[in-house]
Amino acid sequence: MWDTPYPWLIPLLLVLAAVFLYPILQIVRLSFTDANMIQVGYDYTLESYLRMFTLPGFLPMIGTTAFFVFFSVVFQLFAGFIVALLIVQGEKMNLRGTVVVRTSVLVAWAIPGVVIGVIWGMLYNETDAGIINYALSTIGLGPVSFLSDPTMALLSVTLANIWRGTAFSMILMYAGLKTVSKDVLEAAVIDGASALQRMKNVILPAIAPIILVNLIIISIDTFNTFDMVMALTGGGPGNSTEVIALSIYTAIFREFNLGEGAATAVVLLVVNVVMTLVYLKVLGRRGEE
Amino acid sequence: MKKSISIGMSMLVIAGLAGCSGDNPSAEEKETLTWYTTAGYSPEAPSAATSDYISENIESFEKEHPDMNIQLSLQSSNIDEAMARLLEQANTGRAPDMAAIDGYMLDRYKEYLQPLDELMEERGLDPDDYLPFAEKVLRGDDGKIYGLYMSTDTRMLYYNKEVIEEPPSTWEEVIEVSNEVQKEGYEGLVLPLGIGEGTSVTSLWPLFWSQGGKLVDKEGNPVFGKGENREAMIRTFETLDRAQEEGAVSKRMASSGRENDANGEVAAGDTAMFLGGSWQAVTIEEILGDDFENWEVASLPTIEEDDPTVSSAGGWAWGIFTDDPEKKEAAFDFLMDSFISEEGMGEFTSIQGSLPARTSVYESDSYNPGAFNDEFLTSLETEAEARPGASKYNEISVQLQTAISQVISGSKEPEQAVDDAWEIVTFGESGESE
Repeated sequence: MWDTPYPWLIPLLLVLAAVFLYPILQIVRLSFTDANMIQVGYDYTLESYLRMFTLPGFLPMIGTTAFFVFFSVVFQLFAGFIVALLIVQGEKMNLRGTVVVRTSVLVAWAIPGVVIGVIWGMLYNETDAGIINYALSTIGLGPVSFLSDPTMALLSVTLANIWRGTAFSMILMYAGLKTVSKDVLEAAVIDGASALQRMKNVILPAIAPIILVNLIIISIDTFNTFDMVMALTGGGPGNSTEVIALSIYTAIFREFNLGEGAATAVVLLVVNVVMTLVYLKVLGRRGEE
Repeated sequence: MKKSISIGMSMLVIAGLAGCSGDNPSAEEKETLTWYTTAGYSPEAPSAATSDYISENIESFEKEHPDMNIQLSLQSSNIDEAMARLLEQANTGRAPDMAAIDGYMLDRYKEYLQPLDELMEERGLDPDDYLPFAEKVLRGDDGKIYGLYMSTDTRMLYYNKEVIEEPPSTWEEVIEVSNEVQKEGYEGLVLPLGIGEGTSVTSLWPLFWSQGGKLVDKEGNPVFGKGENREAMIRTFETLDRAQEEGAVSKRMASSGRENDANGEVAAGDTAMFLGGSWQAVTIEEILGDDFENWEVASLPTIEEDDPTVSSAGGWAWGIFTDDPEKKEAAFDFLMDSFISEEGMGEFTSIQGSLPARTSVYESDSYNPGAFNDEFLTSLETEAEARPGASKYNEISVQLQTAISQVISGSKEPEQAVDDAWEIVTFGESGESE
C-alpha cells in the first residue's frame, strides 16, 4: 500500500476538504435557509432563490456583471498582450527601461482593490477637484458625470478594472511570449512570413495555452471583484454598478441576510465553474487541433 | 506533565474567553471583565487624546478594583458587521461583560442586557436627564433602562451667511435659494443621495418623519410602503427629485452616500449650503480657517411650512451583559466614571468632538462646547429622533438608499422606486406587498 502515492496525498486532501470543500458545502446549505445574522436559528426554504430570481434587480445585476466582465476580460487580454509584446520587442532591441516598464506595470497589480477604488475615485471626482474633470475643463470640456450617471458609472468602473487587471494579464502574456521558440520565428522570417503572418501562425498558436489560462484567471478574478467597485461607487448610482460579488457583500454585511447572500454566492460559483468548463472545452480543443 | 500543562493552558484560555462567568476558582485571583468596543472608544483610538483619556481611566479603575482586570477586544471598523457579531455572541451565550452598541440598535440587544435602574439610582443618574430621544431608546417595554447612552449627533443645514442671508426652511425655498446662489457661481444644495447610511439619516428620514411617516410598526414589521406611509415616502422622493430636476441639487449627489462627502465639496470652495452631521463642524472649521466665521447652522428644511422639523440623531451607548452582580457593578462603575458621569461624559465628548447625551452635561465645567453647541442642543431636544431598532431596518435602509439614488440618477420614477423597494423588503411576507 505504501508503494502507491495515495497515502501521501491524504494530508493534502484533508486540508483541501477542511478549507475548501467544507466552506463551499456550508454556503450551499445556507443558501437553502432563511438564516440571517440578527436572529438565531433558521428554517430550510427555497425562498432565497425565489427571491433572487423573481425580484426586480436580478436581471439588471446579471446584465451589469456581464458587461463588466466581458469588456474587462477582452480589454485586459488585449492590453496585456500589447504591453507584453512591446516589452519583448524592447528587450530584443536592447532598449533601456524595459525592466522599469515591467516593474511599474506590476505596481498596478500589487495595489489593493480598495486603494485602486479610492485613486480612481479621485480621478473621476465630478467637482473641480476631480483630476480628469479639471483636465477637461482646461480645454473647455466637461464636467463629465463619471460616477453619477448610470451608464457612465458602469463604463468608469469597467475602465478602472481594465487598468487594474492589465498588469496581471501582461505578466502571463510576457511569460508566454518568452517561451516562443526563436528558431521557429527565424524560420518563419526566412520563409518570408510577414509580421502579421508570424503573429497569426506562429506566436498566437504557441502561446494559446497561456492565453487560455490567462482568460480563465482574469474572468474568475473579474467575476469575483467587489472591493474596487465598493470603494469606487458602492454599486451606485442606484444599482447600476452592482455586480454579483458586491451584491453578496451587500446582502450579508449590510442587510444581514445570510440566506440570500449565500444563494447569490452559489449562483456566482456556478457561473464561474460553467464558464471555466466552457473555456476549457472550446479553447482547449482548439489548442489541441 | 506536558498534558496537564496544556490542559491548564486551555482552561485558562477558556476562562479568559468566557469572562470567568463560572465559579471563581480562588477569591484572590483576578476576575476578568471583558470589554467589546470600537477602536475609537478604546486605548487603541487613533486620536492620542482619546487613547490617553481611556488608558488613564482603565488604570484608575484597576487601582480602585484590584480584583478586576479589564480585557479588551476590538470591534470591526464595519459597524454593521461588529453589531451583527455582538448579537450572535449574545444569542449563543458568549456575550462580553460590557460592550459599545450603536445607539439605535440597542433595542435588538435588550433581551440580553441587564436593567441598570438600581445602579443608576445609587450613582444619582436620573434617566430624565437623558435627551428625550435617548431616553426613549434606552427604555425597554417594561419601563426599565437597559443601557447608558454616551454621545450623540444630529443633522442640520449648514450655510454660508455671506452668500445666503436667510436659510431656506422649506424645500420650495431650497430650490429658490439654490438657483440664486448658482448665479453667483456657487453650488446648489449639497446632500447625500447615493448609497450609504448618510443618505437615509440625513436626506430621507427627516423629510419622511416630518410628514408623520413610519418605517416599521410596533412589532418591527416594515410599513413604509403602505397607505399614508407610502404617500409620505413617495412625496419625500418627489421633493428630492424635483429639486434635482429644477437644478437646485446636482445629479452627482446620486453618487454620494455619506455626510462627510460634503467636506470635500466645502474644501473645493464653491459650496454655500449643505446638509450634514454635527460632528462635521470641527472638520469644516479646520478646512475653512477664518472663513468659518461666516457659517451658521439651521434646522433641516421641510416640505410644507407647517410640517414639524425632524432631525435624526445617532451616537453610541454602552450595554452591560454580565449578570454576575459584582462584575455588573464594576462594569457600571467603569462606564459611569469614564463616559457617563457629568465629568466623564463632559470630558470624553469634548475630546471626541461629539455631543453629550445628557442635558446637564451641556452646562458642566468639564464640557468644552464646540461651534453651534446651542443650536445642536436645541435640535437634539426638540427635533431629534432615532432610527428604529427593528431587525428589518438595515434592509429597508439599503433598499431606499438604492431607490433614491436611482431616482436622482434618472433611472427610475419616484413611485416606481418606492414600490420596488417595498416589494424587495416584504418579499414572501403574506399580504404585505398587496
